[in-house]
Amino acid sequence: MHTQRKEIHYMDNNKMLLGVYDNPDATFDVTKSLVEKGYDVYDVYTPFAVHNLDRVIGVKRSRLSTAAFVFGMTGLVSAVTLQSYTSYFDWPMLIGGKPFLHIPTYIPITFELSILFTAFGMVGCFFIVNKMFWGRNTNVIDLRVTDDRFVIAVNIHQGKTDVNELSSILTKGGALEVRERINEL
Amino acid sequence: MSYESPLREPLVTGGKTYADVTRDILRPMENKASKGWWIGFTISAIVLGIWIAASTYTFLTGLGVWGLNKTVGWAFDITNFVFWVGIGHAGTLISAVLLLFRQKWRMSINRSAEAMTIFAVLCAASFILSHMGRPWVAYWPIPLPNAFGTLWVNFNSPLVWDVFAISTYFSVSLVFWYIGLIPDIATTRDRATGFRKTIYNFFSMGWNGSTRTWHRYEMIALILAGISTPLVFSVHSIVSMDFATSLVPGWHTTIFPPYFVAGAIFSGFGMVLTLLVIGRVVLKQEEYITLGHLDAMCRVVMLTGTMVGLAYITEFFVAAYSGVEYEQYAFINRATGPYWWSYWIMMGCNLIAPQVFWTKWARSTPWFIFIMSIIVNIGMWFERFVIIVTSLHRDFLPSSWTMYTPTIIEFMILLGSFGLFFTLYFLFIRFLPTINMAEVKSIIPTHSHDKHADHAHAEKGDTLHG
Repeated sequence: MHTQRKEIHYMDNNKMLLGVYDNPDATFDVTKSLVEKGYDVYDVYTPFAVHNLDRVIGVKRSRLSTAAFVFGMTGLVSAVTLQSYTSYFDWPMLIGGKPFLHIPTYIPITFELSILFTAFGMVGCFFIVNKMFWGRNTNVIDLRVTDDRFVIAVNIHQGKTDVNELSSILTKGGALEVRERINEL
Repeated sequence: MSYESPLREPLVTGGKTYADVTRDILRPMENKASKGWWIGFTISAIVLGIWIAASTYTFLTGLGVWGLNKTVGWAFDITNFVFWVGIGHAGTLISAVLLLFRQKWRMSINRSAEAMTIFAVLCAASFILSHMGRPWVAYWPIPLPNAFGTLWVNFNSPLVWDVFAISTYFSVSLVFWYIGLIPDIATTRDRATGFRKTIYNFFSMGWNGSTRTWHRYEMIALILAGISTPLVFSVHSIVSMDFATSLVPGWHTTIFPPYFVAGAIFSGFGMVLTLLVIGRVVLKQEEYITLGHLDAMCRVVMLTGTMVGLAYITEFFVAAYSGVEYEQYAFINRATGPYWWSYWIMMGCNLIAPQVFWTKWARSTPWFIFIMSIIVNIGMWFERFVIIVTSLHRDFLPSSWTMYTPTIIEFMILLGSFGLFFTLYFLFIRFLPTINMAEVKSIIPTHSHDKHADHAHAEKGDTLHG
């Protein structure tokens, strides 16, 4: 275990205990009791979004909504700037006697560009914070986790974590299997 | 994880487990393509060939090969464009608007409806390109500095708004679709081997099902739905402004935006029904796309068809009430002029025919729904034809009144666009999961055969279940 792994997260060593479940309710209940008992739940891997599980393991509310707003405003400002610069400052054209700076006709494009910037900016941020990119190889914690299994990953802190008790909580909660894994995530 | 009242009809029938969902949905992708798929794909590809041939001929020869004349300058091309754009509205409507309303029945149909959206918008865009006649200068509506030999575009023009609206709609729909696909691509990846695994691994972007990722995923899905909802409405409103901001009698109407949006939902659901009534049988997905889903969609079709019909009648009233002679003549000419048959096809297919969905039998008989969905498609195509051609062919100057007859080339391009659409659709059902597995799994009641079933709905967190 002395090879330097760059992605070691907040833990004393890099071992985790995994409990594999086939039921989201059991997964939720066990996770909640583990958190309440003070275990360091690293993450829970599920085939679909299990609601409230994020709150239980203490995931902070994502700031992606703020990012979306900022990008939306950027789109709005860009659209207004583009349209007023081109049709008023740069090259005014008289078309049907309409005013050069004609705010109401800018509304549709301003709206569309706000949406466009929001969508692409926010999704871009989503990929960045999740470190997702095309061609990324991931080390899935359990291949079945994208099918029908739910995995609770608990960090083991040497000397602090009572592995036997942890293992028995996981088993009693209905785990199909409990195993150790070296964290490479 | 989900609890539904036992009184409600389940959204997914057949007592599926999570593994069943994965297996059922991936079956068409993981096995060899069936004979039916090859037949369908080959026919579509041949029809796509017709599209390529007819478009190429048009581009090489010029728009003179179409039946346009100086009075009717927009006809088949714009009819087909609006027809396809309208169809392209159901996908985002289903996934975005129904997500905001928490309509869980959307989950079995949103993936294929979104795919349909994207392919339909591509077909629509192809008509804009061919309508321009010179597709190599298709970048001119984009605001580029005049070093390109053009001035800036005219931002007062709804045609420029349309460029922005359609391209935004296409790209945002594509992003929304892809975001929804990522967890399912990961599922496919984890079951695949060899070359397929490499490809799905590439597009899965390293998805690992972490709760942190799901948290962010749910948030962006909600925000994307929130921004896509006004986007859907804006796009067809802007398409309608291509007509409504003009001065042509019959186009110069303030009710166009809501009327077009209702028509878009109507035709979009019509096309979704056409595809899914067949698709659910061929892909063996009757337990996911149940009669309940068909029933719900038929109700939407009936409601929006009636709204569209109301708009037709309102137009007549407003024309009569306005006292504007030209406006009045335009509408009398629609219903009784040389193109009367297209008007009555439109009325019959869009307002009268969908009324059969008041009966439970009509809403629950798949073969009948299929026929109705074709009728809706035909009706909505004629709606655009009526609006465009009958308004143009007799306008202010009787000396320029004329008739419009489409040429064989225009028919070939219309037919060919269906080839483009279905070729893409067949590729989609072969290579991507047609139902959003991750979402469908979330609405399956924690499975009944499971040994934890008795605890499934116990109060959370108070005890550990042994």
